[in-house]
Amino acid sequence: MTDVILEKVGKTYPNGYHAIPSVDLSIEEGEFIVLVGPSGCGKSTLLRMVAGLESISTGELRIRGERMNEKEPADRDIAMVFQNYALYPHMTVYDNMAYGLKNRGMAKDLIAEKVSDVAAMLGLTELLQRKPRQLSGGQRQRVAMGRAMVRDPKVFLFDEPLSNLDAKLRVQMRVEIRQLQRKLGTTTLYVTHDQVEAMTLADRLVVLNKGKAEQIGTPMDLYNKPATPFVAAFIGSPSMNLLDAHLTEQGITVSDELTLPLSHPHRGAIVWGIRPEHLDVSDEHNADFALRIQAVESLGAETLIHGKVETTSGQGDAMVVRLSGPHLPDINSLMWLKAPAQYWHLFDAVTQQRL
Amino acid sequence: MTVTFPQKGLPWLLLLPQLLITAIFFLWPAEQALEQAFYQEDAFGLSREFIGLENFADLFSNPLYYQSILTTLVFSFSVAIVGMSVALLLAVMADRVIRGKLAYQTLLIWPYAVAPALAGVLWWILFDPSMGPIALWLKSAGVDWNHYLDGSQAMILVVIASTWKQISYNFLFFLAGLQAVPRSLIEAAAIDGASPFKRFWTIVFPLLSPTTFFLLVVNLVYAFFETFGVIDATTKGGPGQSTTTLVYKVFDDGFVGLDLGGSAAQSVVLMGIVGLMTVIQFRFIERKVQYS
Repeated sequence: MTDVILEKVGKTYPNGYHAIPSVDLSIEEGEFIVLVGPSGCGKSTLLRMVAGLESISTGELRIRGERMNEKEPADRDIAMVFQNYALYPHMTVYDNMAYGLKNRGMAKDLIAEKVSDVAAMLGLTELLQRKPRQLSGGQRQRVAMGRAMVRDPKVFLFDEPLSNLDAKLRVQMRVEIRQLQRKLGTTTLYVTHDQVEAMTLADRLVVLNKGKAEQIGTPMDLYNKPATPFVAAFIGSPSMNLLDAHLTEQGITVSDELTLPLSHPHRGAIVWGIRPEHLDVSDEHNADFALRIQAVESLGAETLIHGKVETTSGQGDAMVVRLSGPHLPDINSLMWLKAPAQYWHLFDAVTQQRL
Repeated sequence: MTVTFPQKGLPWLLLLPQLLITAIFFLWPAEQALEQAFYQEDAFGLSREFIGLENFADLFSNPLYYQSILTTLVFSFSVAIVGMSVALLLAVMADRVIRGKLAYQTLLIWPYAVAPALAGVLWWILFDPSMGPIALWLKSAGVDWNHYLDGSQAMILVVIASTWKQISYNFLFFLAGLQAVPRSLIEAAAIDGASPFKRFWTIVFPLLSPTTFFLLVVNLVYAFFETFGVIDATTKGGPGQSTTTLVYKVFDDGFVGLDLGGSAAQSVVLMGIVGLMTVIQFRFIERKVQYS
């Protein structure tokens, strides 16, 4: 069953700024959707429009078939977790969680029951009488989630909820959020700029760029078949090697002189892409090209090698190669590489669309 | 970090102007008042006689003094509560204004720059029973306004005149307080189903409590000690004793009634009250509230 539908939803600010031209998205019940993109891409605005904190300029938002555009945030049956948690500082954890239920006129004993259930689920039982300032960052994060969960809403909205936590806690909370969402089965819309968070959490990802949805799909769809160079560069770490190239009868010309054989009907300027992890070390006779090594990053489990495509002019494009395990090649030495054709990504340089 | 001066004398030299001003204009008069409180002086100031605590005994056995204390309390709390309520209302509305915000806020702050006596005269003219526009309007509305005869009306007048100026000051602090409340808290409350009214009373107002408390103390101190000019320009403490606050009584008894000893004793009592209020201010106002 489709739970949330955004139909040609757009946002124009009073000063004329076109923050979001038009976004279409339909979310299934229980689905975990992540909105991801660089800062300023409009992802938070879109989330706030779903929450009712920003007005919808054009298009329609429907939750369970009902038009939401004119409804107050409180009447949309959504709950939101804010980046800075937005806990009420003068209330105890218990009162923070009970506030929304009290406002809806729920009976006191029922509130107590609900709050203690959720608190137990999140391990907050001991902290119910504390004030937010007496809690650690991770605990505050949990209270913010508890406050959202206790209301049992139709939709959870998360606005970069993990960005204020340290790296270790972020990984832990990421796993917890995913487990909780599975357990509760609540439809979730989650905003982040972190592509790792996006990939690990999402059932489906929406990659936003300048207010436009560049691509919507499962993490693996986006990884395997990015629709545009923007998505290709954004998803995956380190990001995909994207080189300006030309498609001719002979194949793809990279760095002006190197040709990789390919028969393809398209002609003209293209963007040729291959992920760092898909380049293989080869030898002088079998290799497609050579890389002049400029820097080596050893991470133990993997090694990232930065270099330039070796050409006669010395003006080759920069590339990154990712090899598993430790490697210690010499700086300035040549590395022979093979780029298997099944991992190539071709994009039209003008339309930016996948070929 | 401490900064030290190479010579021992230099810091004292730098402090000297301030110390001199404090000594000449604050410490010396205070000491004079304290001394005076134990003497009785003749009406011409030619001789005086040490009488111990008699001035104080007279003071505390005088029902007029207790009347004045009551008047001061009624006056001060009225000024503080009316001034803060109006200021809070204005601040909440100003916080929502989008166009012309700065002009609106500036206009609201202006009255603070008006001198107390001037503010008093202004309101005295507006409420003058024979020619004041407000008094005439009240008369046409069936209220017989004459603060020269009616003690309660005189009290209302001095409260309005004293509050008017203070509203600007309170407004400024409340506006700053409101702007310090994170937007996301209000948004969270909106999602939590609280009406705008409820959001204000359950989230915003409690978060303003440090500001509110600070302003309460400041306003009480103002109404206690800094409203002499307003009262003198409007009612001169009358009719009868109905607007004679403690500070006005010091002036009235000392310079009009020429009872310098009794007046000095009253000043000593006021010094005690100032001291107490200062302690309260320092003790409790440092309380910090975290917003996130």
